[in-house]
Amino acid sequence: MTYVFQFGIVFDQLPLLLEGALLTIRLAATAMVFGLAVAVMCAYLRTSGPKPVRVLVAAYVEGIRNTPFLVQLYIIYFSLPALGIRFEANQAAVVAMVVSFGAYATEIVRAGVQSVPVGQVEVGLALGLKRFQIYRLIVLFPALKVVFPALASQFILLLLGSSVVSAISANELTAVANSLQSTTFRAFEVYIVATVMYLTIAVAFRGFFAALYWIVFVRGRER
Amino acid sequence: MQVTVRHLAAACAALFAVAIGSQAADAQALDRILKDKKIRITAEVTSPPFGILDKDNKPTGSEVETARQLAKDLGVELELVQVTGPQRIPALLSDRADLAISSLSITTDRAKTVWFSSPHGALSIVIGGGKNVNIKSAADLAGKKIGMTRATLEEQVVPKVAPPGTNIVFFDEHSATQQALLSGQVDAIGGAAFLLNELGKRNPDKGIETKFTVVTAFYGIAVKPGNFDLLQWVNTWVFVNKQNGVLAKIYKEHTGVDLVDLPNL
Repeated sequence: MTYVFQFGIVFDQLPLLLEGALLTIRLAATAMVFGLAVAVMCAYLRTSGPKPVRVLVAAYVEGIRNTPFLVQLYIIYFSLPALGIRFEANQAAVVAMVVSFGAYATEIVRAGVQSVPVGQVEVGLALGLKRFQIYRLIVLFPALKVVFPALASQFILLLLGSSVVSAISANELTAVANSLQSTTFRAFEVYIVATVMYLTIAVAFRGFFAALYWIVFVRGRER
Repeated sequence: MQVTVRHLAAACAALFAVAIGSQAADAQALDRILKDKKIRITAEVTSPPFGILDKDNKPTGSEVETARQLAKDLGVELELVQVTGPQRIPALLSDRADLAISSLSITTDRAKTVWFSSPHGALSIVIGGGKNVNIKSAADLAGKKIGMTRATLEEQVVPKVAPPGTNIVFFDEHSATQQALLSGQVDAIGGAAFLLNELGKRNPDKGIETKFTVVTAFYGIAVKPGNFDLLQWVNTWVFVNKQNGVLAKIYKEHTGVDLVDLPNL
């Protein structure tokens, strides 16, 4: 093999790549916060809501989990404008990521909710709490603690999956890398640098989640 | 054996004669083609609508049909030498083909290795969009959102003419770029004239029109350097078929757009 690596060209454009990486982080972080909110709501509705709502939530979860993310993205970006709902590329990307992450996280949170012993719910009922109060005050905290590692993994998948949104011209890390590759023709170097960036971001988030788990669930318990 | 000055001189003369001889043979390319009754022309079949394979897997497209017409007018049989984009010039230089007619844009860089005829075809990069979008020149692109596909000619030329404040967004495929225009996600797109023409025809309700031409690349017929006689005949052929409208007819038939006025080289 006689390939000569030339990273100089890529490092000249490092600010662009870093900008792309920053947008990747912002997209993923925003999608995580809103997606988790969707999941907490949907997990409640799916376990304790009225029957029609349960069916509706189940349809949402299964519909999203059994269709490709790219197709969902295309529908939001290319098809919704026909109905008068228009999102910018980055907004469309966040909406698609919230919808997708929300569905996967709903199932994870639901598993956590159902792992909480029935006795604790009955205590809530005995104290005269309403159903949603029981969910919010008694069930949610231990449920999230149980499924936290699974949620963190799902978030990393969301982060890496965000590379797909370059298809609708969202200018995140993969999009920047694609553009650089098509102008410099140094595909190997460009994608190696992009890979290292993704890896760094993913590892940093894993560290962040480990710290978050400790602060919220371990130290919080000791107090 | 004794090596004398006379021997050396004789050897030099012989070498010189061989060199002249081969030079002369090269300059007789047209004679050889006429004697063999066969001309070999490159066919790149992966760049529609200039060169493609039809449903029977036969090469066609505007460049291939131009080659057929040229061979017919020369009165010899045509042998198509299938090449990929990067092989077009090497095929000439290695004597696998007599002519390259494969959407080769005339550039000063390429002219260092091959000789070009006067242009016989062209590819225009244009900005296109809906009727209601007010774009008449590059200056009007300011404040507009312009879509284009990565790794294309438009990606290289449009940003150079676009004024500050133009929002250029990139897609990975032509289909996505075109879809972005159809769904109103961008105000206009940059692309090859024939692609926009095709898009407008398939979506008559969108009123897609060509706003202005960014750049026109002219396609020439290339010969191996040294083949004066062949190049002279090709230039004459281009001239005649430009005048009688045959080149324009072939071009329109395959690309769907009119051939621009061709300057002389």
